[in-house]
Order: sequence, then C-alpha cells, then structure tokens
Amino acid sequence: MTQFKQQFDALLDYWPDENTALRKVRMNAFNHFNKLGFPTKKWEEWQFTDFSEIRKSEYRLSWSEDLPELPDNIPGRISNTHFIFMINGHYQPQLSDLPKGVTVSTGLNHFHGHPDDYKINGSENPFLALNTSMMNSGVPIIVENNAVIEKPIQVIYLMTDFLEPLMNHPRFIFELGGNAQASIIEHYIGISSISHYVNSVSKIKVDQNAQLSHIRILETDDSANYTASTQYVLGQDAQLNTTSLSSGGRLFRHDIKLVFDGLGAKATLNGLSLTEKAQHHDQHVIVDHGNDACQSHQLFKYILADKASGVFNGKVVVREHTKQTDADQSNKNLLLSPTALMNANPQLEIYAEDVKCAHGSTTGQIDPEALFYLRSRGISKKKAIELIIGGFAKDIITPIQNDDVRYYINNKVTNWLEGVMHHG
Amino acid sequence: MLKIENLHAGVDGKEILKGISLTVNPGELHAIMGRNGSGKSTLANVITGRDSYEVMSGSVTYNEVDLLELSPENRALSGIFMSFQYPVVIPGVNTTYLLRAALNAKLKNNGLKEINAADFMRLIREKLKLVNMDEKYLSRAVNDGFSGGEKKRNEILQMLTLEPELSILDETDSGLDIDALKIVAEGVNNFRNSDRSFLAITHYQRLLEYMKPDHVHVLIDGKIVKSGDITLAHELEEKGYSWLES
Repeated sequence: MTQFKQQFDALLDYWPDENTALRKVRMNAFNHFNKLGFPTKKWEEWQFTDFSEIRKSEYRLSWSEDLPELPDNIPGRISNTHFIFMINGHYQPQLSDLPKGVTVSTGLNHFHGHPDDYKINGSENPFLALNTSMMNSGVPIIVENNAVIEKPIQVIYLMTDFLEPLMNHPRFIFELGGNAQASIIEHYIGISSISHYVNSVSKIKVDQNAQLSHIRILETDDSANYTASTQYVLGQDAQLNTTSLSSGGRLFRHDIKLVFDGLGAKATLNGLSLTEKAQHHDQHVIVDHGNDACQSHQLFKYILADKASGVFNGKVVVREHTKQTDADQSNKNLLLSPTALMNANPQLEIYAEDVKCAHGSTTGQIDPEALFYLRSRGISKKKAIELIIGGFAKDIITPIQNDDVRYYINNKVTNWLEGVMHHG
Repeated sequence: MLKIENLHAGVDGKEILKGISLTVNPGELHAIMGRNGSGKSTLANVITGRDSYEVMSGSVTYNEVDLLELSPENRALSGIFMSFQYPVVIPGVNTTYLLRAALNAKLKNNGLKEINAADFMRLIREKLKLVNMDEKYLSRAVNDGFSGGEKKRNEILQMLTLEPELSILDETDSGLDIDALKIVAEGVNNFRNSDRSFLAITHYQRLLEYMKPDHVHVLIDGKIVKSGDITLAHELEEKGYSWLES
C-alpha cells in the first residue's frame, strides 16, 4: 500500500501544474481508495480472488523515459482497421490512422466537458478509485452523430520492453453520437517476463439509435496483473454487441456494468476466457434494466487448463415498473484438468412483472461420449480433444461480424489450444 | 477377419459377456439378437474400444491383430466402424468437418494423400443422395438438432464415406419409422460386397427383413445360446426369447 501512496505522490510531483479541479478529483479518489483498501476474502463480491500480490507489489508508474524504441512490427495488428497506439501507456499519435467523423481528444478536455463522468459516487470498487486517482493514459474517442465508420478502430495498449515492474491506469472513453455506427477494438497486449499491472477503466456511451460493436482483447504473459472496469450506457434504441477474449495473465479481474438509459435498446455481451497454469480470471457483470423494452443477452464461457481458476458472477437487475424486458444470461465452463477450478454465480433480481428472463450456468469436463465418438471415427485423441474444445468456443467466435477480427480471434484461440495441448 | 474367442467382459467389475465366441468372415452379415441387457451393446463397445468396458478374459483379433491392444482410433483406422445406438451431439463441430477429418485420418494412415475440399464435397454429395439427406445437415454441428432418424442416417452417411471393412450396426433400426428404416437398409445393402462384413445388433427381426443376414445369433445373459440362419429370427419373432432361456 505504501508503494501506491509513494507513486501517487510521485504523480502529483510529476505534473505540478495540473488543472486544480482534476487534481481535486485525484485526491478525493485516492482518499476513497485508501479508505476502501484492496479487497479481501471477506468482501462478498471479491472473495474468490487474491489481490495480495498487487497490494504488496513494487509497481511504479510508467513515465516518459519508459517509452521504448517502437517495435518494427506492432504485435496484434488486425488487418483492415483504423489504428490508435499506446506503448507502456504512451500515446503515439504519429501512428494514428483515423477516419473522418472520429476524434481523439485529450483526457483533460474530456474532463472539462464531462466532470460528472469522473465522480466515484461512493463506488465500492477500489480499482475504479485507484484508476481515477492515478489516470495516466488512455484516450477519449468520440464518433460524431450520424457517422458510419466502416472499418473497425483498433486501439492497441501494449506493455513491453521495460526493466522493472511497471503499472498504468488507463482511462478510455468511447462515445458514439446519435445514429452513429462503429466498431472499436480495445486491445491489451503484455509481452514481458517482468511483471506489470494495468488497471483500466473504460466508459462507453452509445447514444440514441447508434450501433457499437466493442471487441475487448487481453493477451498477456503469466506475470502480469490486470484489473478493469467497463461501463456501458445505452441510449434509446441503441445497439451494442460486445465480444471479449481474455487469455493469460496471473490475475485478471473485470467488472462490467451496463445501464439502459433509454427505451428499446439491445445489448449482447459475449466473453471467452482462456486460462492455464495458475492463471486466475474473475469477471463480474451487472446488467441493469431500468427502462422498458430493452434486451440483453449474455454468454460467458471459460476454458480452464492445469491449475487455472475462474470466477463468473453475473447479475441481471430488472427495475420496478419496467415493461417488456427480455434478458438472458448463460455461463458455460469447460475444465480441462481435474485441478482447474470454477466458481460461478449467475443471479437474477427481478422487481417487475412483464419480463422474459432466463439464466443458467454449467461447468463440466470434456464429454467422454463425444471424445469416444470422434476417436471411433479414426480421429486421434489429441485432435478429438482439440475439436471438442474448439467447438465449445465457437458460439463466441462465430457471431463476430467483421471477418478480419473474427479471423484474428479464431487464430488466438486455436494457438492457445495448441499450446495447451502441446504441454498438457 | 473378426475372431472373438471365449470373451468375458463387463463394466465396473460386473461381468456382462460370459464367454462369447464368434467368427465373422469377409462378406458376411451377422445379426446379434437379444433383449435389453443381454450384452449386445457391450459386445459392440468392447470391439470398438470404449474406455469404460473391461475385458476379463478371452481374445478379440481382427485380421490376426490383437484388437484389444489398440486405441479406439487405431481400431477405426484398421477398418472397423460402429454406427452408434445413440449418436452423440458435438456442439460447434460441424458435420462436414468431422467427415473430412475422419476421411483424411484414414487416407493418411493408409499412406495416401489427403482429399482436397472440392473433391471432398463432390464425394459427400454423392453419399448424401444414398441416404436421402439434405446438404443443409453438413453445415450443422454433429447431430445437433437432428431427429432420431436423421442421426441414424448420419451414421450410415459416415459409414459410406469411410468405407470400413467391418461395420457394427448397434440398434440402427431403433427409433426409425418404416421409411427411414428402408433408406438405412438400402444404404447398407448397396454397400455390401464380398470384402465387407457386418455385425447388426438388434432387438427385433424387422431390420433383418430388409438386410438379409447370413447368420443369426441369439444372445441371452451374455452368452450366445443359439445360432442359425434367418429362420431363427423368424422363430424369435413368433415365439419371443423365452423358449431359448434355460
């Protein structure tokens, strides 16, 4: 904890002339974070995840001298996409490729325009407070009203090539104006044997009748810790499709919250988590139906190998007096080893009558009947297992509309699988 | 071709097959008849190598190779195929992919070149016609959303594609209406030749009206109590199984 205090002080020293209102927000947030502390096993919403390594860590913030030489080939680049690039937290605007109708503003600008977006409002998520106090990277991306952006916008946040444990607290804003259409890939990549910590907050607004496809990818080495909050606000008749692929990391905790701020909006939230060795992924999803005629569909899948562990906690809330809510939530988990562990807790809180709701969670191993069936056709045991696991992941991958994105994610899953099969 | 000698086998230490001996020669169709629980499916599972079944004593050889030493996939690659009593749904794995992977595994095992996508589609369209299946099934996940009859036809489609030497038809007639039964039987009949053998496991003689067996064996309590020709099946239909019980 003292490390975080030191780093907070260092940040204040680093930017002595920072805007006073922003500075006040930081100080309040840090006080709030201090009050909350890191989650412990006694916190109900956090009980299955051990944050002590982050708490005891020696991470320091990434400063401008931590900007390494830019790689010749940026890892993770997806073909036929617009591009925004950050390396060790440092934005590289000279590499940006953005279409008409899309603006990248600065954090300070956005803060001035939307000070309320930075309020913590007594949130019990200490990582949100920590991010607000130390926000040091990330960009606001604004898509104009009526703009239709054909190619996806890929935002790569790369952590690589550093010599001591670094941390960053990126704050992303993605806003789609009314009737706009866009696809944004929020892509975290960690390539380093030295540990790093990324604590991101992404606030995403989809205005009236706009359509957003949000792809979130995390791929990182074993030593890294990632915590993240993603908050969606959907306006009237807005449509959101999300796919999240998370693989690797020592620890990944992701809090997703979706609020319907208008009537008739639709959201699909899909996620695939891939863990092996002693990796741990913990995802909490809250979908809050506070308006009429909104739809939400969730499908979260986990594949766990070796001694990996996973947590899925999903909650759908349907507020009083709302009508015609259609919400479902499904969580399916595949354990590839007897030492892998999954904690699943899907919940519905329904305070209205006119609702169509369903939820369910299953955790199982590779179906021995399916395995025997494939082997009885002459397919090797290894290949058969690969086919079954690939089949399990398919209903996350297939709905991705953009061919290049789907191809990239499919490749990631296939490569991960081959890796697991190879050492497994 | 297939030689079973004094086979004792079961599940969880419980003996189900109590000394089976059976020889199937090239070109022959043998019917194994018996009531539920007589050990018919156990026999099929032991031949194909399902994990949960253990062999207590006896032997099963196939073309003079000890079959019991082989993995299920190697049994398949050596020419054995089973049409499942309950075909398994495999979510996310499409039917074309399975068929092609299985065929290529066989070609590769036989030292031949893998089949390319275009040739494979030509081949599979021909086979689909033989079992009166629509092409739309190919893009679906294996057996996912298939009716009982469609699942059984899909089994026969796989048999026709993989061209095994020995086909075990485990209750292939169960759950089929008479039209589907005719299609399946015709698929099998057209596939018969002097090199291919069949082991048809069934409860009723209905199936055997459409595919004429060379030999009929009656299995009761894990033993073959009587063997004969098609007339034995007719006799069973008339008198039931009880006249054979001791």
